Amino acid sequence: MQHEALAIVDEGAADLPRGALSEIRVGCDAPYENYRLGAAYDEMFARDGSVRPHCAALHARLASLPTEELIRRQQNCEQSFLHQGITFTVYNDSRATERIIPTDLLPRIVTAQEWVRVEAGLKQRIRALNLFLQDIYGEGRVLKDGVLPRAMIYGSKHYRREMRGLHVPHGAYVNVCGTDLVRREDGAFVVLEDNLRVPSGVSYMLANREVVRRAFPGVFRAAGVQSIEHYPQALLATLKSLLPFQEEVSIALLTPGVFNSAYFEHAFLARQMGVELVEGRDLVVNDNIVYTRTTSGLKRIDVVYRRVDDDFVDPLTFREDSTLGVPGIFNAYRAGNVVIANALGTGVADDKAIYAYVPRLIRYYLAEEPLIENVETFLCREPESLSYVLANLDKLVVKAVGESGGYGMLVGPHASKAEREAFAEKLKADPENYIAQPTIQLSTAPAFVEGAIEARHVDLRPFILHGETTTIVPGGLTRVALRRGSLVVNSSQGGGSKDTWVLSA
Amino acid sequence: MLSRVADSLYWMSRYIERAEHTSRLIAVKLEAMVEQSREDSEASWSRVIAGLSAEKHALDPGDSFATTQTLAFDHVNPSSLVTSLRLARDNARQVREQLSTEVWEHLNRLYLRLQPVTIDAIWVHQPARLFREALQDLQTLEGVTHSTLRHGEGWYFLELGRYIERAQLISRLLDIHFGVVAPGFALPPPPPKYLDWPVLLKFCTAFEPYCKEHTAAIKPERIAEFLLFDAEFPHSVKFAVDRVREALVHVAPGAPPARRAACERLAGRLKAAVDFGRIDELIGGSIDAFLVEITRQCEQIHEAVYRAYIAYGAETVL
Repeated sequence: MQHEALAIVDEGAADLPRGALSEIRVGCDAPYENYRLGAAYDEMFARDGSVRPHCAALHARLASLPTEELIRRQQNCEQSFLHQGITFTVYNDSRATERIIPTDLLPRIVTAQEWVRVEAGLKQRIRALNLFLQDIYGEGRVLKDGVLPRAMIYGSKHYRREMRGLHVPHGAYVNVCGTDLVRREDGAFVVLEDNLRVPSGVSYMLANREVVRRAFPGVFRAAGVQSIEHYPQALLATLKSLLPFQEEVSIALLTPGVFNSAYFEHAFLARQMGVELVEGRDLVVNDNIVYTRTTSGLKRIDVVYRRVDDDFVDPLTFREDSTLGVPGIFNAYRAGNVVIANALGTGVADDKAIYAYVPRLIRYYLAEEPLIENVETFLCREPESLSYVLANLDKLVVKAVGESGGYGMLVGPHASKAEREAFAEKLKADPENYIAQPTIQLSTAPAFVEGAIEARHVDLRPFILHGETTTIVPGGLTRVALRRGSLVVNSSQGGGSKDTWVLSA
Repeated sequence: MLSRVADSLYWMSRYIERAEHTSRLIAVKLEAMVEQSREDSEASWSRVIAGLSAEKHALDPGDSFATTQTLAFDHVNPSSLVTSLRLARDNARQVREQLSTEVWEHLNRLYLRLQPVTIDAIWVHQPARLFREALQDLQTLEGVTHSTLRHGEGWYFLELGRYIERAQLISRLLDIHFGVVAPGFALPPPPPKYLDWPVLLKFCTAFEPYCKEHTAAIKPERIAEFLLFDAEFPHSVKFAVDRVREALVHVAPGAPPARRAACERLAGRLKAAVDFGRIDELIGGSIDAFLVEITRQCEQIHEAVYRAYIAYGAETVL
């Protein structure tokens, strides 16, 4: 899975001796005897150790099943993933072995009321982000009004000058968005990161649902879980809506190919939508028209849902060493002969510095207050923030805006005094390059790990579809840090995923 | 249909056919070995090795263990059972969205089951059993393919791959048994003995169908005729050639007539050769040349299909 590492990492909790946190054991009955509540919000248990009402049925069912039965159901889930080929390949001694993406048996449950708020907030956010993209690739009002500095846009490596003045249907630059939400200690969902380029994971959302529904049919049915199965239809409708006046729209899903870690997802979505799955070498551009090469000759393509990064889409316009792309497709796009979804250059709106401005962008474009907050973020380019950050370096995580994957980052609570002082110098020298955030404890949810039910940290990535209208299937991908105490949920570091149940009442 | 997809379906199907053929030859050989003398067993292994085009591995036909290991489980050998299955599955993965879930999962399960198997694990108790089971799985896969995919263009590319491969594999086996000098041998094995003929029939799942047609009286000439020219037996050369021709009528329905013509002409020519061939003209005379010609024409059809539908230059059709 191409998931970015979580922005905020506080592995400190894992290092502390057990009991250093105000741990609460929630009853001693099997299978919960190892369940510990920490500082984080817990999805199943309230602070006093009582079961949250919406989880009561699941809680009771789990208690009624012998451990061997849970193990058997977990194995069934894993077998199903293996047979479906939801795997990645590990190479050792010339033999390739297949590993499944870890999936956790226990669903994470979100109430209807919570979901209503989340959905409204996500719709608001995607609207504002699309208006922002239309603006910066158009007249640039937001820059003229001084809402954010020009250098932040024109200096961004994800800004695509080639997109200036290009007509995008419905102003929908971001057609598929995966927004990472986390729960704060107070239980409120906040946005950690917007993924506006080629977010992945939706096939795991659907695959998890299928196996977990089979594992707990009774609880599932009684709970009244909202369906997510229509995601492929909703995606197809979104892509079709990009050519509103055309009866027959021929759509292709562009994949980097079978070696890409998200290939399963590409093939899955193409099959579920009934559209052609193509690689760059299957497409030909002639006279600014995009065709696929078929056994019967060339066939025109109207919409390309691309799962290839900006840089690799067209070697004539972007990276010339790209072999994944389609030479000439960008010119066809500019000529209006093909729609590319997501539009190019959307990455300018999801970097760490712009993230801090999103609440202001919502107010600026929509004249509304943000319905979902950001994680509190200090922009070091602003003098008051900088002095606050310098005074509180031991409590904050400081990140360089242009970097990812943990480079150029200071985790205040874990750094030595000397490291903090050295970092303070860097900060003062180039404040514009840094943001700071408090460390947060992601919420915990029950996970079935090595034969026991234990608390593990989770986040939530809902998928937002935006064309002529905005659609969000209720739920998303809950990623879970399967290592005890870890707050890192991405799959390369022992992260897995679990089904997410949004209740209908 | 995308040319790349057609390419993958075609090869997926060829590799599945090859895997099935390999499993069957090894299973039948291991079962027959119990009643064979040492010399007969070696001669029979030599034919299996040649039938699977594995002469270049310099296998010792006296060493059943090592031979089975190389033919079945050698991940480096490009035509071993496990390699054929891996390549079939790699191609299927490329076109996962074109296959039904049933076809994909059946193939994937078989692949996952056979990948870790080692010769040591199966050799002690009934080594043939694993190959029989693989064979059953592959036959089930054929049924699942038949019943869960639309019989559209993609399915006909699967048919094309399967039957081109089959025509070549059966021709080769016949050549090894009936040819004057079996190909590819430094030291050719002795001519087949009486008990080698039922084994040949079993290599082609033809023993029972043959007996129904000709009674259990084993006559090499009748066997050759049955495996070459029987119109109704799925593992005869004629049956395979007819399916190839039928598949070519159905693939690439929108291609311009000029591009279709090249493929259809070659398929028609091959069909004519098989339709009007007579066994009494071949036995004791030109059967080698006839079988070589069938193999060559299959290759020509393969090339023509690629030129017309898969690897054509985009500029030639704009």
